[in-house]
Amino acid sequence: MKTEVLLQLILKDFQLNSLLTIFTMAGAAIALAILSIGGETPVVLGTVFFFLAIIFGACLIPMQNIVNERKKQTLPFIMSLPVSSAQYGVAKFLSSVGMFLAMWLMLLGAALYMILARHVLPGGTIPMDLILMNFPLIGFCLTTGAALVGESEGWATAALAATNSSYGLAWYMLVRHAPSLTKTWAGPIAVWSPLVFRILGVEFTIILLTLGLTMYLQSRKRSFI
Amino acid sequence: MNDYAIELSGVCKSYRYFDLQNIALRLQRGTIMGLIGPNGAGKSTTIRILMGLIYPDRGEVRVLGHHMPDEQIAAKWDIGFASDDMRLYDSMTLGWHINFMKSIYASWDDAYAQLLLKRFELRAEQKIKGLSHGQRVKASLLLVFARRPKLLVLDEPTTGLDPVARHEILRELTSVMAEEGRSILFSSHNTQDVEQISDQITFIDRGRIIDSMDKEIYLDRWRRLRLEVPAGIEAPALPGVIGIQQTGRLAVAIANAFEPQLPNAYENSGARVHAVENMTLEEIFIANVEHSRAEVNS
Repeated sequence: MKTEVLLQLILKDFQLNSLLTIFTMAGAAIALAILSIGGETPVVLGTVFFFLAIIFGACLIPMQNIVNERKKQTLPFIMSLPVSSAQYGVAKFLSSVGMFLAMWLMLLGAALYMILARHVLPGGTIPMDLILMNFPLIGFCLTTGAALVGESEGWATAALAATNSSYGLAWYMLVRHAPSLTKTWAGPIAVWSPLVFRILGVEFTIILLTLGLTMYLQSRKRSFI
Repeated sequence: MNDYAIELSGVCKSYRYFDLQNIALRLQRGTIMGLIGPNGAGKSTTIRILMGLIYPDRGEVRVLGHHMPDEQIAAKWDIGFASDDMRLYDSMTLGWHINFMKSIYASWDDAYAQLLLKRFELRAEQKIKGLSHGQRVKASLLLVFARRPKLLVLDEPTTGLDPVARHEILRELTSVMAEEGRSILFSSHNTQDVEQISDQITFIDRGRIIDSMDKEIYLDRWRRLRLEVPAGIEAPALPGVIGIQQTGRLAVAIANAFEPQLPNAYENSGARVHAVENMTLEEIFIANVEHSRAEVNS
């Protein structure tokens, strides 16, 4: 019975945010279409729009799915249902992460298809693409955690501002301190060096720590509305 | 089975600028309790504690026999909760909300939901954002009533409604009670609504319960005596009288424990009793709050 309610809450969130997900996917699809034209300008524009679409999803999913529930006062309606605050947190967490991950994985798949099958970018860019695609994933996790635990638009906006402004810095640090990454990206084959695995390891550790800490803090709340 | 739908004892909750102090409350199954208090009195905090949404610092809370907040999931299957700050999803239709509730509650009564749609003049296909405030309140209550809950907890459900909409909602609440064993806790600062439908009255002010009893006994115990006293004499506060206002020779005594011999006692003390009047719940509420605050301040 408990699982059924949780499932209904998750499905409800998917329904409520379906337009947002569709728009984000459509934006990314257009970016990939531009990318597939080939040539320097379309490739640069397509790549920029592609990452913009992912960052758009990473920003708007937590705001729309978590912050708006409080802001628009629909939270008391949901909390009148047979769920505890911890279960509500789990449902919100799963629906937000589910929505973003579904989108992220589809876009990752599409990007890999464009590189491996359509050859719009060299195969050597794959490790860097994965590292870069993890930036908005980390940003999404931090914003989701801040929105769930902080229970306010202020905390979520602060997390958004912090993550969005750090993408450029993270890119600079990569190029500055890991120049070997850029040396292999023009090649036809992806080079999975220990450095790539170390960077991916750090990224996934941040993601897991953020999500774990969010669930821990959410489960310890004593005042929910 | 426990006789009480709601039992709170020794419940305390402290905030920076507000304390809920030693709340004790019992709602017998099959009855309606009106929880009356001014804004900021602690009505919503009390209700949120009994719904398991806020953990009390101390005290025990049982709802439909379940310990709250630990057993809130089991309890909430049988509780219908609506509050004035509750909103539905603007971008979705009422029909979508009905289907959502149906997907959760096996007890959902579709025929009753259709009946309420007609009675409340609502349309399932209409989006929530297109509804007026009154229609939104009715839509929320439809979603609560059609679940057929054993206990209704309504936090200021009639706030901001026009008299016709208020009447429709109160009439529906009364008809909900026709089913045996249903209980309602109904908070409001509108004493007229509470007086109309409640069996029990509880007054709350500044985080404390100041009185709680059967409505008829309550109305019976409170009286206003209009007195005329000899010049230069102050009307005495006899036993059962909580306050006297005097202007010249005319005085008004408010009794919270009226006994039939009280007018005679005033006559014997030299005053003339011009009238003994019943008080409305609103007048009782104001007098009670003022008396309680004066006691606390002294």
